[in-house]
Amino acid sequence: MSEVLNYIWLGVLAVFTGPDLFSLFGIGIPVAPIMVLGGLLTGIAVGATPGLAGPMAMAISLPILISIFGFTPDALLPVFGFLIGIMKGATVGGAVPAILFNMPGTPDALMTTLDGYPMAQSGQPRRALRIAQLSSVTGDTFSDIVLFVCAPFLAVVVEAYLDLPEKTALLILSITFIAAVMGSSVGKGLLAVGLGLLASFVGTGQSLTPRLTFGVPELSGGFPLVAAILGVLIVGEIFKGIEDLVRGGNSGRKGAQTLAEGVKDRLQPGDIRRIAPYVGRSALIGTIIGALPGVGSTLAATLGYSYATRRHKARKQPEDTAFGAGAPEGIAATEAANSAVSGANLIPVLSLGIPGNAAAVFLILAADSIGGFNPGPAVFRFTTPEVNPELVIAFGIFTLMSIGNLLNWLIGGSFMRSMGVLARIPQHILLPVVLLITLTAIYVQETSLFALWVTFGFGILGYLFRRSDIPVLPFVIAFILAQPLEQTAREAFAATGANPWFLFSSVTSAVFMLASLAAVVLLGRNRM
Amino acid sequence: MKDIFKPLAVAAAVLAMPAAAVAEGWTPPGPITMMIGFAAGGGADTQARLVAQGLEAKYGWKVLPQQVDGNSGLNLVAELVNAPTDGTAIGMVVSESLTYSMMAAGNPDLQIDKFTALATTASFQTGLVAMAEGNFNTWDKVAAAAKAGEQIRFGTASDRQADVAYLFGKAAGIDFNIVPVKGGAGVMNGLRGGDLDIGWVAGAQSKPVTQGEMVNIASAIPAKLKDSPDAPLVTDLGSKYVLDGYFMFVAPGNMDPEARKALGDAIRDVLNDPTTEANGLVTKVFGGPDVITGEALDAKMSEMNTAAATMLKDAESN
Repeated sequence: MSEVLNYIWLGVLAVFTGPDLFSLFGIGIPVAPIMVLGGLLTGIAVGATPGLAGPMAMAISLPILISIFGFTPDALLPVFGFLIGIMKGATVGGAVPAILFNMPGTPDALMTTLDGYPMAQSGQPRRALRIAQLSSVTGDTFSDIVLFVCAPFLAVVVEAYLDLPEKTALLILSITFIAAVMGSSVGKGLLAVGLGLLASFVGTGQSLTPRLTFGVPELSGGFPLVAAILGVLIVGEIFKGIEDLVRGGNSGRKGAQTLAEGVKDRLQPGDIRRIAPYVGRSALIGTIIGALPGVGSTLAATLGYSYATRRHKARKQPEDTAFGAGAPEGIAATEAANSAVSGANLIPVLSLGIPGNAAAVFLILAADSIGGFNPGPAVFRFTTPEVNPELVIAFGIFTLMSIGNLLNWLIGGSFMRSMGVLARIPQHILLPVVLLITLTAIYVQETSLFALWVTFGFGILGYLFRRSDIPVLPFVIAFILAQPLEQTAREAFAATGANPWFLFSSVTSAVFMLASLAAVVLLGRNRM
Repeated sequence: MKDIFKPLAVAAAVLAMPAAAVAEGWTPPGPITMMIGFAAGGGADTQARLVAQGLEAKYGWKVLPQQVDGNSGLNLVAELVNAPTDGTAIGMVVSESLTYSMMAAGNPDLQIDKFTALATTASFQTGLVAMAEGNFNTWDKVAAAAKAGEQIRFGTASDRQADVAYLFGKAAGIDFNIVPVKGGAGVMNGLRGGDLDIGWVAGAQSKPVTQGEMVNIASAIPAKLKDSPDAPLVTDLGSKYVLDGYFMFVAPGNMDPEARKALGDAIRDVLNDPTTEANGLVTKVFGGPDVITGEALDAKMSEMNTAAATMLKDAESN
């Protein structure tokens, strides 16, 4: 136990004694917590801007951060700090335009419009924002605590009990599950996963001659990771947005609400007590959903809201506001649920190296680009006396998340109230700016025009995916997991003495394989 | 891009120029691109970056490190072969990339004669490594378990290591399950997680061995290991081949001899200077600097190339 405490302490120290940003009255201000603050404010702003989302901001800032902090392990915590800040800020910020303008800033804030906008309309926008912030931060904090406890535990169990064939089967199960739950059909999910694996197989592998490069020497190291992922996720989205603009499908911006007279616009007495049970339930729902890779915050918000509706109906007092008419419980249930996803979502990332959502993808990308931290079960090895530097980083990340939550509690609310103006930025200005920044950011990191062509090519792919209603995230996750999958599978095959049935050589791995099959069959049937 | 860099580099060079640089006869005609054939963040990568840092500090040369990893260093040599020969392009690889790996890949445009060896930095301290508390912490236990019919998982980090493991097993009468993993770190992770039983590590095992977590059950170089002088040599256990080699800097072929000498000497000075960070790291992680340059290095490379050819033939005929 003492070694665990020791590592936690080292993690905290790593955050606060890292390189100083500047010194104030002779006291060095460590850079990592400042980066969390910067990320948080950026995240709130981005979340409050319809058309932008947390992952987009993470994608753009990652190459810029890396060019500032470099490729040394010292860069890990400041870069993670900023990214985590964005992640946390964006979940809170998404509620701002949802409440003020009936326009969800992020897709998972859709349910927030149902009660938030009516409450704002009835003259209480500040109260609505405050409830959203409180619920969101509570859900997030709860989820983070579950992460802190579960991730190390899960990692230790995986490392202790799973052999190479089981690890391979677990990766297959995760990828299949993601394919099955994301998007409109299992078939399309599997298609996205298949293409992601194929793209990742270019230039990689163990042969001394790189495969599938078609004689293009630039491809001998594979597609540049950042270029490919940003291409599909960001540039594809921009292409789609431009098309929507051209077709005139841009939803009109609604004007500001007209304020009713004589209503007190702040937290009402009894609000906290009223929303607490809803926040608790939604936080739990969000956390459970978040721990499953690939199931997003939108589903959590929907589930949280519909459970809350049922409960509210059953216990409603006559004087309570009904759901959909500006009930504080409705805002709370949605915001707590969608925010509770973000912490738990990191459980599979940190303990298994499996990213479950776009934010996690960028954390993996950051770790991969900088080096020195490889998310996976090997991170949580409590070695003594030799200090495991990756474990220190892991606890540093937990510390950063706690700092993020604290800042979110303290200043998130007042900052988000000032962000309403961002919802008015027109798309035809926003999209080109984002495109320009994305391309610049990629060039900064890769310093090759080839990377920009790759980005462009993957952007078109991402656009086609969106046009055909194929989910892009399974593609990206498969692209990232392809190499660990191939590596583990090769190792398992070799370690079992070239047994072609290694995936069925133990009960555990056979169960994982059956579960993958079941995911495809059962989840496919439900959708019809 | 280069047009922007040049004036910047000159400015930086002027500002940072210490007295030593003035005495040097040769200066690079532009910033030096240092390609690194190893994954970012690992020991070998850090070593290269610290040498780059040392060259900048000591000579005021601008060095731009750049990752070109993958394919056992072959991605790097493929890019380096067409780079300028004036000393503005160098790369860090391991000697087996230039010998065994290029030979095994068999591309006539990428063979050792197309490159100029600049300087080695450290020699491999390759050991056959196992967990200290595990069931395979001596060679006798490995041999006995294999006799009893137990399958033994042998981690290797390159094709050459896999070939040596295979031929070693043949000679010792053991059919190892040879598991190709990523780098020495991959081998050690596999050992710790129980996914592997034994494996080759080329020097990164030094810290866990001195701290008692792992053991070198045999030395895979033609000499005793610095950390484990009692470990037997694999050649005494029946292996015909060893896994010796060097971390080294290389440049395109037909390089300007003046540039070659200046770069080789500069790298030597940085590594052998006990005040540099590069020296500190190499001493701590790779058993100390082992710098060979010039004709002595050419002779060493040709010796290692012959050994690689013999082994490759043996592995192919088996």
